[in-house]
Amino acid sequence: MTWWCAATTLPWSWEWRAYPGVWVFVLLLLAGFAQFGLPSDRAARRKAWGWFLPGLLLVWAALDWPIGTLGGGYLSSFHSLQYVMLALAAPPLMLLGLAPLMTERREAGRIGRPARIAAHPATGLVVHNLIVLVTHFPSVVDQLMTSQVGSLVIDLAWITGGLALWWPALAPVGLNRLSSPLRMGYLFVQTLPSMFPAAFLTFAEYPLYRLYELAPRAFDLLTPAYDQQLAGLIMKVVGDPIIWIGIATLFFRWANAERRADVERQPGLPGRPASM
Amino acid sequence: MTDRRGALASLILLVGCAGGSDPDPDALHGYRLPSATPRPEFALTTVAGDGFDFAEATKGRLTLLFFGYTNCPDVCPATMANLGAVLGKLTGEERRRIDVVFVTTDPDRDRPEVLGPWLARFDRDFVGLVGSIDEVIAAQRASGIEAAVKDGEGEGYTVSHAAQVIVVSPDDSVHLHYPFGTRQAEWASDVPRLLRSFGGSAR
Repeated sequence: MTWWCAATTLPWSWEWRAYPGVWVFVLLLLAGFAQFGLPSDRAARRKAWGWFLPGLLLVWAALDWPIGTLGGGYLSSFHSLQYVMLALAAPPLMLLGLAPLMTERREAGRIGRPARIAAHPATGLVVHNLIVLVTHFPSVVDQLMTSQVGSLVIDLAWITGGLALWWPALAPVGLNRLSSPLRMGYLFVQTLPSMFPAAFLTFAEYPLYRLYELAPRAFDLLTPAYDQQLAGLIMKVVGDPIIWIGIATLFFRWANAERRADVERQPGLPGRPASM
Repeated sequence: MTDRRGALASLILLVGCAGGSDPDPDALHGYRLPSATPRPEFALTTVAGDGFDFAEATKGRLTLLFFGYTNCPDVCPATMANLGAVLGKLTGEERRRIDVVFVTTDPDRDRPEVLGPWLARFDRDFVGLVGSIDEVIAAQRASGIEAAVKDGEGEGYTVSHAAQVIVVSPDDSVHLHYPFGTRQAEWASDVPRLLRSFGGSAR
């Protein structure tokens, strides 16, 4: 019984494959969020669902057929796409879904110490980059991806690494001492270490991963060498812009907040810009 | 860890070669046969329709001989892709000293017009050979491997076949087989050493 995507010796085909473990995992996240992740305010709940659900859908798409299957045992490029979806794209959406609850708890003084430690930029830098480096090491990939448990470990590590990356930048104000410009700087620094695995993948003379080099070919034109180069490009060309979007969003929020504060500081115009 | 040991072994061997001695075949990534066998003798037809006497056509050259089929889902395309990638990085002089010969084990489906373009995807100089099923079986036996067996019925059948690459040295002997799973980096390490070790003529 196959319950999680991992490498097999089966030839690739577009025939659908079921992964019940993925469905159970996604349902657990959904139930956990519904039970423990929502704020008490009804309007804020809608907003929370609006952020969380797209993040959860990305996690599901990354883990299930066909992306999960291709990344699990056939193509390094899809493995890289899974990394981008699980570690870079889904976590900020899920964390923004949790933000209303966190804001509510912070105002009530009920934020735990672990959430504060996780919001420290050093935690994000160390945890995320350690996970990125270790989970891209050829012997680790070749060893873990051939078993369902090993593949699950890599997927969970990426989600954890993504949450660690984004939490210091998205945590409610007060959980860490980072101003908006520092949060932007923190995110920029987070784009730097992934240059190393991406460069190794793109410029290696020969395939680094035994698993993908010798896997049954999914697409004839995608040789192991092209596949690996594509993997490195996806990591940087698709992955980095996601972080830049985060930086841009923080910038515009910060700029709007500054503008509002300036307007509020003008006497006679409380909280509203002057009409022209 | 195996790769690291292999790389270390390669380094030690290369240092040894720089000193002028031949590489130790036992340290190559292929497995050495208990005793060398003579260059296989069989005759088939190229995808261009010309007769091909294997022993005569490849005499005195480093020849990588493989038996497979174009509908193979895993071993054959991976092996040909790896060989094509590695040989494509050799110098022109080195490349001219090596032949890669692919014999189809599925002559019913691998007509010359199918096999030729399929092989050319990996390297335009790979030699594709076809023949009747009896000729192909005889060629496999002459090469010292089990004859391939058809699995299943209808159009979607597969063929169980030997997965190793047979290395025929320029001394017209087979000393080594390379199993499926030999990586590009391993071929890249071994091919120049096989050429240095056994010499061979350039076309």
